[in-house]
Amino acid sequence: MNLKKIYWIFLLLLLTFIGDRIGGWILEQIVQKSQFRYTRLYNQQAESDILLVGNSRGLMFYQPTIEELTGKSTLNLSYNSMPINLGRALLQDYFENYPAPEQVILDVTMCDRLNNQLIAGFNLYTPKSTHVKQLIRDSIPKDYYGGMVTHLYRYNSEVFQRTLNYINKSDEDWLLDRVINDYMVEEAQSLETFRITYDTSFTNELNAIKQLCQSKGTQLNFVINPYYPPFAESITNLDSIKNVIQTQVGVSISDYSRALTDREDFGDYQHTNKTGARKYMQMLLQDGILKK
Amino acid sequence: MIFNSLAFFVFIAAFLPLYFSMKGKSRLWLCLIGSYIFYGWWDWRFLSLIVFSTCIDYFVGLQLDQTEDEAKRKRLLTISMVVNLGFLAFFKYFNFFIDSFTNMLQSWGYEGSTTSLDIILPVGISFYTFQSMSYTIDVYYRKLAVEKDFIRFATFISFFPQLVAGPIVRASDFLPQFQKERTFSWDRLTTGLGQILWGFFKKVAVADSLAPYVDQCFQEPGMFGSLHLLIGIIFYSFQIYCDFSGYSDIAIGLARVLGFDFPENFRTPYFSKNFSEFWKRWHISLSSWLQDYLYIPLGGNRNGSFGSWFFIILFYVLTVVMTGWWWLGIIGVGMGIWAYWYYNSSTARQKNLATYANLMVTMLLGGLWHGASWAFVFWGFLHGAYLVVQRLASPFWNKVLNAIKTPMFIQNTLAIAMVYFFTCLAWVYFRAPDFEVANNFIMGIASLEQFSFGAVMNKFQVVKGFLLIGLLLAVEVTDLRYEYHEVIRTQAVFRVVSFAILLWLISFFGTFGNNSFIYFQF
Repeated sequence: MNLKKIYWIFLLLLLTFIGDRIGGWILEQIVQKSQFRYTRLYNQQAESDILLVGNSRGLMFYQPTIEELTGKSTLNLSYNSMPINLGRALLQDYFENYPAPEQVILDVTMCDRLNNQLIAGFNLYTPKSTHVKQLIRDSIPKDYYGGMVTHLYRYNSEVFQRTLNYINKSDEDWLLDRVINDYMVEEAQSLETFRITYDTSFTNELNAIKQLCQSKGTQLNFVINPYYPPFAESITNLDSIKNVIQTQVGVSISDYSRALTDREDFGDYQHTNKTGARKYMQMLLQDGILKK
Repeated sequence: MIFNSLAFFVFIAAFLPLYFSMKGKSRLWLCLIGSYIFYGWWDWRFLSLIVFSTCIDYFVGLQLDQTEDEAKRKRLLTISMVVNLGFLAFFKYFNFFIDSFTNMLQSWGYEGSTTSLDIILPVGISFYTFQSMSYTIDVYYRKLAVEKDFIRFATFISFFPQLVAGPIVRASDFLPQFQKERTFSWDRLTTGLGQILWGFFKKVAVADSLAPYVDQCFQEPGMFGSLHLLIGIIFYSFQIYCDFSGYSDIAIGLARVLGFDFPENFRTPYFSKNFSEFWKRWHISLSSWLQDYLYIPLGGNRNGSFGSWFFIILFYVLTVVMTGWWWLGIIGVGMGIWAYWYYNSSTARQKNLATYANLMVTMLLGGLWHGASWAFVFWGFLHGAYLVVQRLASPFWNKVLNAIKTPMFIQNTLAIAMVYFFTCLAWVYFRAPDFEVANNFIMGIASLEQFSFGAVMNKFQVVKGFLLIGLLLAVEVTDLRYEYHEVIRTQAVFRVVSFAILLWLISFFGTFGNNSFIYFQF
């Protein structure tokens, strides 16, 4: 192999590296322009009175209704399939960067899975985050170091696509806007029973959140958000998980799993639509979980 | 070991310098040991199968070379076939046959035993078995000189780049390449690397990005609206294409770097204008294998054989028995009478009918090659039916198009769209876990309920999926039109920029979860 060919290899590596860094920088600038909740969180634009945490079911904490009912500002940190360790890390990042909020409301049914793939999706926020960064480094080092080697890789996720979607657009009123279909209603009558897999590490995460809130004087509420009733019946260990959390964490759980019964309130088995979410927020207000 | 794993990168980083620093016999030994490590990484116990199969075919080949006695030669060929197809039958089809037999007994009202063995399917068994069989058949028919060097022969059977998912390389194409000493070539390195990178892009960026959406669609199609399912099958058509052709590209590229030339396995199949063309562009190494070792021996497009009629009747009877649709039997008898009349009415019709029968048997067995399930057989049947209907209808269809003076561009677009549509229809049966899910899937699309983008779930996956498919097609169309790969080969600047772009795309879109290749299960 002559010297000229070695130059070409060197040029390829150099071009790949420089292009990656420039691409990463451009994408970072784009992310800064987004109104996505996590971008706002890390851009010092998310100071709120109430923080809401959950997985996709946490999005039924419908912010426009809460703000209308209570007159308080909200930040919903929920995300599809979000695991509790990521929820905890995001809360820690919030508490570190903002004055303590009045209240944190957390849907404990997010304690049903570990989801390293989603955690990796938050790689794009590692330059600005302390706790999410640490979580990624500890739980998926391959992705963390991958993001260091190539900056483009940090943006290789659905989280980034959502960030793009919310450029100059608010993400605060998104919720399913459909009614559960006939097929699902019919199938619901013969759903097989199943158990939520509860890992003991979830208790530690919930305890960490409790301590964080206590240390800052923030009120913490645990709730179980509504399920489509036949689906709620098919979960065989929902009550026992509730008992485990209440005993081991020492925070009582307000159970709304069967609170809504009308088909028109649901988009599918696990999610209310906007109509259902509005009714549910009214219930939280009446029960004193939300306060004016 | 799979190509998109860290283990493979370590393996190849150690293998390449050793390979180019060795020569002659020691290099062959390195290839053989490397290939066995590559395969054994998955499950070392199944190495014994490859070794046994290799030994049998090696010794059969030697014996074939030493005798002119036709009866003995036939016996030797039979031994090789029985051993190779026996392994395949046991590991791949045993439970399928037992389950089918049990279902048949149950459909007759007997209490069939439901015992089946817990058999692990050895990865790539269908590929290396066919490769090995092609050697014995070619030696038997004196088309190929026998290979006397055991190490060379064993390396041919187990050569790691194409061991587990092809392309199926014929002995006549591959073995002579071992005769020449392979030296390092800059041109081979760059073109091979380009193909490897393109293969990785197809696999980790396109196929693996489409996979989650597709998996969800086929889990319970009833949960989704019509448009969601339609997107699901479009995605699957590209997932399987990119997954499989991506593997082939990596295999061909690797072989190229090592100094070997493998045949092309895919040639933009979704641009085919008819089904014969589709099979000349999709999994070319298998379709040409089936053509040479099954379709032509059955009589091809010249005459029929006992074998093709036997298989057709067998498949038909089994379908009637398995489904319990006895009315199909009555139709079958009617079709049999018609076929008998048609067959005896003229020589031209005899030839036509024989061609249809041979095509159908080839496609049915091709379907069964993919997997031990009736869904794969049905997929093969659909493609067989497409080929037959195309032969029957194309004269009429061409007359219609000429009569209304349709511009060639529209004719071609229409033909490509039609082939793609029917290919997708067959993919539903290929991918669905059973017939019920497949039928629900098709009914779900046909219902046109919730046929709006608003009813589509996971829109972010949809946008990403279409973006990647667009990128893929743009590159493929450019390559077809401007021979992009030639420009990359000859223009260094263009090559460097293209490789860098591919690396950025893989980094930005890739899924790095060691997802296995779909065709490993075959």
